[in-house]
Amino acid sequence: MDRNSDLTAVWVAQSGGTRADSWTSYWKLVQSRIGILRGCLAGVAAVALVTFIAFRLHLNLSTSGSLYFLIVVVVSVIWGFWEASVTSLIAVNCLNYFFVPPVLTFRISDPQDWVALATFEISALIVSRLSTRAQNQAKAEARHRAQVEKLYELGRRILFLDRRRTIGPQIVSLVQEVFGTESVALFDATLARLDATGSRAEDLEELARRAYFQDSALEGADERTWAHVLRLGSRPAGALALRGPDLDRLAIVPIASLAAIALERARSFEKESRAEAARQTEQLRTTVLDALAHAFKTPLTAIRTASSGLLETGRLTADDFELAALIDEQAEHLNRLATKLLQMARIDAAEVRLRRGRISVLTLIEDVLARYREQIHDRQVSVSDAAASLEVYGDREILAAALEQFIDNASKYSATGSPITVTAEENLGEIVIAVHNEGPPIRPADRERIFERFYRAEESRHRASGTGLGLSIAKKAAEAHGGRTWVVSEERTGTTFFFALPGGTGRRYESVAG
Amino acid sequence: MSQSQGKVLIVDDESSIRRAVHNTLQIMGFHVDEASSGEAALRLVLEAPYDVVLLDINMPGMGGVRACREMRKSLPRLGILMLTVRDSEEDKVAALDAGADDYITKPFNVRELAARIRAAVRRSSASQADPDAVIRIGSVELDPPRRLVRKGGGPIHLTPKEFDLLHFLMARAGLPITHVRLLHAVWGPEYGGELEYLRTFVRQLRKKLEDDPAEPSYLLTDSHIGYRFAEARPEPVAENV
Repeated sequence: MDRNSDLTAVWVAQSGGTRADSWTSYWKLVQSRIGILRGCLAGVAAVALVTFIAFRLHLNLSTSGSLYFLIVVVVSVIWGFWEASVTSLIAVNCLNYFFVPPVLTFRISDPQDWVALATFEISALIVSRLSTRAQNQAKAEARHRAQVEKLYELGRRILFLDRRRTIGPQIVSLVQEVFGTESVALFDATLARLDATGSRAEDLEELARRAYFQDSALEGADERTWAHVLRLGSRPAGALALRGPDLDRLAIVPIASLAAIALERARSFEKESRAEAARQTEQLRTTVLDALAHAFKTPLTAIRTASSGLLETGRLTADDFELAALIDEQAEHLNRLATKLLQMARIDAAEVRLRRGRISVLTLIEDVLARYREQIHDRQVSVSDAAASLEVYGDREILAAALEQFIDNASKYSATGSPITVTAEENLGEIVIAVHNEGPPIRPADRERIFERFYRAEESRHRASGTGLGLSIAKKAAEAHGGRTWVVSEERTGTTFFFALPGGTGRRYESVAG
Repeated sequence: MSQSQGKVLIVDDESSIRRAVHNTLQIMGFHVDEASSGEAALRLVLEAPYDVVLLDINMPGMGGVRACREMRKSLPRLGILMLTVRDSEEDKVAALDAGADDYITKPFNVRELAARIRAAVRRSSASQADPDAVIRIGSVELDPPRRLVRKGGGPIHLTPKEFDLLHFLMARAGLPITHVRLLHAVWGPEYGGELEYLRTFVRQLRKKLEDDPAEPSYLLTDSHIGYRFAEARPEPVAENV
């Protein structure tokens, strides 16, 4: 058997394993010697029988020579070359003693008989050599075919492993079942998990683990134990160890490849089911949100229709009017709150998946200003020219929601009639959109916290109607895009809210939201 | 009660909304009927003449958009006003493309709703107007046969495309016109996705037409939907936020 030394590092079994393994190989040697002895004895017995019969029947030299030749061929076919050689030597001596004149002596008078005997022996040796070789070839082919059939079966059944159950135990028992190996062990490096089946599996587990950590194939000293590294692509992902019998070491590599494929399939299935679970969660969240939106908006619509309808009748007393106006106002407030909560929840959900596209910054700003036209109609709103040439790569709805909060904030917390300025510029790889108003400064202590959910600065609680959600929506929206928000506020210049998104093209950050 | 301001059909699967809209519009002088589904509404509008249908966009069964398309097929002059929620821009565009005249976002102020209904009533009774008649809205005057535009008496120079765009919008003043419809009408049926063209032209028009292009009072943007030219008597059209 040739030894592929660059692939296989010989593994010398340790301590307990050594004695057992040398005893095994010794026993194997004895068994093979007994096999040869048995073949020889059978050959000798057959020669003796033929000698007895041929001598009694007074057969001539050539007839009995043919019979001996037949015996040698049969022995070589059944047992092999060495057995046939021993048989042929006995046969040639019997031929000489019993049939070459003078009979019953080992003497040979006629030189031609020397030639005949030599020819017999040489032919017998050649024929037995050839037949043994043909025999061995046929045996090897049969073994090879059986091996290929087993590999095919393994490959087929590995496709049907239950991917919802742990894959390791299934692989080892499948390999053992198909190849009839004594024991099998599998080390799965990703899960740091060992699975084994069969007798004396602890040694095999150890062997598999060592093969993985040394990143090379190992072979037991008994020549019936092997370990092979399992690779997914070029990355080692574990190791498989097997112990004979009747294991062709050439089959180890394909078995290991099949096991690696099974591991990989299990991994991708796991990943797939995780993605599927995330998708379902997102879908569920969207469904719940839509249902909630409907559930909130329906009664709110009825309330607002009724309250604003009452105000329109013109038949209310001043007190009635005041009460109806209060209902109308608060219904509208509740509506704003519900809208913002839904926006917030949508942005939370969007962290799973943003619907990104290229958006012109100017268009984004114009769209948001259009929505707020009513609220800011008394304001001088200016938009910087640079916005026209800038683009961001993001989710239009979510970025618009963020910018809306800034505009809403600017209009609420600055004096009626004071100007609002929206600027956009590219700065150090970021697109920065800023909304400036001339409102009173925000206390330094509040500047971080106003971006928190439901936080409202002390003084603003009394000044403007708000939900405490707006700025946290803006912050969330920026973060979902890998960006950030901050505020600069001074007595002299007023307050500016900033919203920065990575990169003009956004390419670099495409993977952020995955 | 004074004379009816118009005959309105409210179509919504929610009975509380039907009740509230029915009662308030009735107090305000409209004649109101109710239907709880698109199918029922279709039967009603074919049986009796209505001025305006208030059609909820999101209903079980055939749904608002399909009901709108069906009504438009047989009643080209019927006023159709869609009731929508804020986050359904795609639905709004679909409804407008299916032939709706306008939309209003829930929850709405009844005064605004009444104004939209009155505008729709006016339009449906005036839609037989002469296409060559001069259109005057605010201080803007457009003379179709002579392809002239004046503002406050002074002429405004427009390119042919700018004129076509303005003409199309002014002829439908007060109505939201979707991007796609504008592109089809002014550039041709093979256009539809070239929103940047449209934005550039609208920007140019605003510079020539508006007192303050940053805060337009004639050429209004309907976020994510399209544009509309302000009505003769500007009515509040802001969304509820």
